[in-house]
Amino acid sequence: MNPKLNAPQQNPARSGARPGFENVMLRLVKGGPERLAIEAGQIDAIIDTASGSAILLPEAQRALIERKTRFRSLVALCSDWHWEQDEHYRFAARAGAGVGSSGFDDAHIIGKALWELPFDNMSEADWQTHRNQLEWRATFHDLELRRVDRAGEVRYISVDGEPVFDQQDEFKGYRGTTRDITGRKQAAALVQGSDRHARAALDALAAQVCVLDPAGTVIMANQAWRACTAVNGSVAAGVREGANYLAVCDNAVGNERAEGGAIAAGIRQVIAGESRSFSHEHASDSPAGQRWFVLTVTGYRGDGAMRAVVSRENITERKRAEQLLGLDYTVANQVPAVNREPANRVSVANSLLAALPHAEYQRLQTGLEPVTLTFGEVLYAPGAPIRHVYFPIDCLVSLLTAVDGHRALEVGLVGHEGMVGIPLALGSNVSPVRALVQGTGTAMRMEAAPFRKELLQSMPLQRVLYHYTHALMAQFAQTAACNNFHAVKARLARWLLMTRDRVRSNEFRLTHELLAQMLGIRRAGVTAAAGALQKQKLIRYRRGNIRILDRKGLEAAACKCYRVIKNVSGRP
Amino acid sequence: MRLYIAGSAPNSIQAIANLEAICREHLKGIHKLEIVDILEQPQRAMADGVLVTPSLTKVSPLPAANVVGNLNDKNKVLLALGIKGKVA
Repeated sequence: MNPKLNAPQQNPARSGARPGFENVMLRLVKGGPERLAIEAGQIDAIIDTASGSAILLPEAQRALIERKTRFRSLVALCSDWHWEQDEHYRFAARAGAGVGSSGFDDAHIIGKALWELPFDNMSEADWQTHRNQLEWRATFHDLELRRVDRAGEVRYISVDGEPVFDQQDEFKGYRGTTRDITGRKQAAALVQGSDRHARAALDALAAQVCVLDPAGTVIMANQAWRACTAVNGSVAAGVREGANYLAVCDNAVGNERAEGGAIAAGIRQVIAGESRSFSHEHASDSPAGQRWFVLTVTGYRGDGAMRAVVSRENITERKRAEQLLGLDYTVANQVPAVNREPANRVSVANSLLAALPHAEYQRLQTGLEPVTLTFGEVLYAPGAPIRHVYFPIDCLVSLLTAVDGHRALEVGLVGHEGMVGIPLALGSNVSPVRALVQGTGTAMRMEAAPFRKELLQSMPLQRVLYHYTHALMAQFAQTAACNNFHAVKARLARWLLMTRDRVRSNEFRLTHELLAQMLGIRRAGVTAAAGALQKQKLIRYRRGNIRILDRKGLEAAACKCYRVIKNVSGRP
Repeated sequence: MRLYIAGSAPNSIQAIANLEAICREHLKGIHKLEIVDILEQPQRAMADGVLVTPSLTKVSPLPAANVVGNLNDKNKVLLALGIKGKVA
């Protein structure tokens, strides 16, 4: 039964909203046997014909709630044996089948409080905490106590109790139940003993590791596995202990369906002993951009039953390096064939580096290292020293300035056309702005000291950077004016176009929150502006994915600032 | 006959006990009793025009009759059920 407990309507001001109920009340007030019964206190409920539900009168409602609560507490306390204590917490009575087996069988407990009994796992402070609970008349659960019985064996009991009051609400003591949990404790200790080393070893691993039983249930997972959540967007990432990994793979939907099926099949082969191990590489889209993982499954026979060890490693770095190598290789192949670049220049994905003469680039290259910048990473904090400069290849970095201590506003956007760390080129080693990675991707990084040394020696590098600095200053100035004067829709269009130019793609991931922060407006404003652009069929916005459908149209919708910034950047 | 009650609220329980006692004493199995819990089936009460619970309705034989309250007044119940007339 699931009674719908409605409070009687007591607020006359609200009764106007329920004409049906009012009619019923009117009929009741007018007289008849119903009214007499109500006056005699013989009625439990009134039917509200408007809502089709029963409205309990206060007395009946109280009785039902009380009965329910009492039943619930009885169920909660259900266990081995029962006891009662007086108002001074001394045992007054005890009964139950388990008394003998609990090792608590001596009659000496009558007249004694719990803390006067020979338990050896409770400190003075523990008892004080318990006594405070009692003084507050609180219900207590699972108070675990340990003692050595007369046969010299360690016994554990678990005690639950609740206060008892008489009809005048006077405290009469406690009553409760006690369970013998020795068996459970021993089993837990045994498992812990053999498991502990395995767990410690697993937890020390950076890879996400879990162990599956033959049915695919996760019986053990290391810390890295537990820390990983489904946010990673990957098939069956972070399945909890006790859950079935195979079932999660089997039930994967959408893009992950094929992945899930392949992984489940591989694991089943390993569990069946048909193959010793199985490995599967897969990419997943996370809010922080694309990531790669390799899943390795190996089988072993433990306690007679087959177990499968699943290990999941993030190989995004390696994949990016592979891609970079691939990129270099493609470029190297194409240069002689296409040869659009002047012969003494080299083609690299960052425009500033690409603008350098080959010899200069070769020299600089010794200090450059490829790094993956992930969404949300802060490269510089305002006022903090600059340790590296970054030449983005396919990542996107926002330069933000704090407006009133907590809100930030974007003043500049850097992609493959520029460099993050311009203050260093101008002789300052402190960043005035916060540099935040907006789009995950790769960049070439160089330490501050060698960079300054190179800059002093290389005229071409100076020229390239001074030109870029000029463009960046123009961008700062234009953005500042734009943020102040232009409508949100036009600013949003400008921002999307600037992002498009920098990531060299018509499609990218962006959330409303992020856009709101970039443009310094509320989220609702972004929703309205993005909605308007979408209605004009200029963009498509779905679940954080933005696709520019009509670049020219979007340019027409953007403010002039976009062109101004683009023209300055493009001018040699 | 049909008895409308509200879960295990006090008057409802009382009504069931009273009605059962009356049935045992006066009807001896020649009756058909249905108990409707309006917390589970409020629409049944609405369909039968019942406004409050507990409430006892005699469906057949006609004439239909109705008693509201916890049925403590045995005479009233017997009268409504048309038993008292026969006995007297």
